[in-house]
Amino acid sequence: MSTGKLMARGVADMRRFPLPQLCTLVTVCMVALLAGTGLLILHNVQQEVLKTQAQARFQVYWSASSNMTDVETQWADLKRVPGVAEVSTFTPRAAMAELVRGLANAIPAAPAPAENATAANATADNATIADGTTVPAPSPNDLSWLEGENFLPPTALVSFDIPPGEAPEPWMGRMYARLHNLPGVEKVTYNAAQLSLATGWIALIQQAAWPALIFFALVVALVVGNTLKLMMLARRDEMEILSLVGAKPWFIRAPLFANGVVQGFVGSVLSLVCLKFLQTWLRSLLDVPPLFLKVEFLPAWQSFSLVFATTCVAGLAAFIAARK
Amino acid sequence: MVHLDHVTCILGGTQALNDVSLHVDRGEFVFLTGPSGAGKTTLLRVLYGDLKPKGGSAVVAGVDLMRLRSSGLPELRRKVAVVFQDFKVLPERTVFENISIALEVRGVPSASIDRRVRAVIRALDLEERSYALCRELSGGEQQRVAIARSMVVNPELILADEPTGNLDADLSRHLIDLFKQFNTYGTTIIMATHNREVLSWAPEARQVHLVRGQISLPTAEILSGAECVAARRGA
Ligand SMILES: Nc1ncnc2c1ncn2[C@@H]1O[C@H](COP(=O)(O)OP(=O)(O)OP(=O)(O)O)[C@@H](O)[C@H]1O
Ligand SMILES: [Mg+2]
Repeated sequence: MSTGKLMARGVADMRRFPLPQLCTLVTVCMVALLAGTGLLILHNVQQEVLKTQAQARFQVYWSASSNMTDVETQWADLKRVPGVAEVSTFTPRAAMAELVRGLANAIPAAPAPAENATAANATADNATIADGTTVPAPSPNDLSWLEGENFLPPTALVSFDIPPGEAPEPWMGRMYARLHNLPGVEKVTYNAAQLSLATGWIALIQQAAWPALIFFALVVALVVGNTLKLMMLARRDEMEILSLVGAKPWFIRAPLFANGVVQGFVGSVLSLVCLKFLQTWLRSLLDVPPLFLKVEFLPAWQSFSLVFATTCVAGLAAFIAARK
Repeated sequence: MVHLDHVTCILGGTQALNDVSLHVDRGEFVFLTGPSGAGKTTLLRVLYGDLKPKGGSAVVAGVDLMRLRSSGLPELRRKVAVVFQDFKVLPERTVFENISIALEVRGVPSASIDRRVRAVIRALDLEERSYALCRELSGGEQQRVAIARSMVVNPELILADEPTGNLDADLSRHLIDLFKQFNTYGTTIIMATHNREVLSWAPEARQVHLVRGQISLPTAEILSGAECVAARRGA
């Protein structure tokens, strides 16, 4: 009998043991769901940390005498560098406006005049134009007089997402050199504390991810493997009789292998469906103020790996259980 | 067909077989008798490769059991069929499926399987139950299915361990007649039993008596026919 036929028979024979098969399927599904939930949490924590922590910010200062057209070209180029999350640019004029706003907030406003003096003040301070609209008088904080001789340089605040898999420190060093070598750039600063924090977070995630992945793989392998072996007890008589009538090992194993593969595949796909429901529910639960956590589903490669690993383990366990 | 010399077998500390020598020719019908615990089942298990003997030499149907590896087991089992007291049929499968399985593992084409299974089913009077699940059968019917499964492959040797143990006298007699009939076609049969009535239904069969793991009859009687003559001449 061909292997294909044997496997088809193994799958067809599953209906002969509905209860053990169902129990196994539920177990496989639940264990895969458990592992999937772990992966989901890990993935989302990783996303969240990367989003908020693993950003490198460089403040780039051009010399004050730079040609603004050249600088603006450089800014446009900067926005296209891979990994750049955000570029906030300040022309000397914009920087000045920012400075003015900052000073205005810093210098406390004059105490409010007494109520009966309001009307008089209004006439005194505001020039009335012919059509009746009033123009505010220059405030004491107005620094527009500085415009003519603006001493502020063009600057840019460039935020990068440190690419995953890159060691942050050398990467930052390279990026620093690259920015510093831009023509007209006088000074580049970055927050060293921010850098070491980012480095720390990335290292932590990487360190936590591997043991967690190994743990989930072990849980799936052990529980699915043993459950499949238990299920094979239901088919033990069959194996014994097949062996008694002279079946070759492959004749006995192929149907059981097929049975295991189907269990692993169906169980893990079902677990992904359950995980999708879980994720949708978690998202609706957590995407509210003040959390705004957008719980994402597993990336495709992780979903695929989960199904693949579970299927392999189940097939292998069934195959091994068939050994006498 | 069977050549055992000084075979010893230890099971969980018990010496289940102790220096057993037994030779059975092609086409013989041998009864293996002896009290409970004598080692009858153990001897049969050695013969179908389920137990590896500790010492001595053992060749069954041309297969050297002392050198048998698990990969060689299917070859042995295709020559040697086994019938058990507890039937060992698959309860969730039909009579037809239980019998045809023995041919399927040998890769017999399905048209041929169909023909051969039907012939055996007819011979064992199971026609009406062909498509019944085995768990719905009586003990006697299940045993007939097990015997049909062993006979359908035309084995060189049939080993039967108390095949009539669970059956009434009429049915037992019927089954022994079936074995005898099969034996006349040339199949060697070794049957363990401690039922004296069964022995009396096949008086022409050789009887080998086991006691505490040893064959207890005079040497001449455990030798096969030809050797027996030679032994007498030598005396
Ligand atoms: N799996 C085992 N482990 C340990 N000892 C065993 C095992 N099987 C059999 N024995 C011992 O080997 C001896 C022979 O047992 P065996 O089953 O061959 O007897 P038997 O002649 O078939 O008996 P019965 O007529 O009751 O079936 C007994 O003493 C038994 O206790
Ligand atoms: Mg016994």
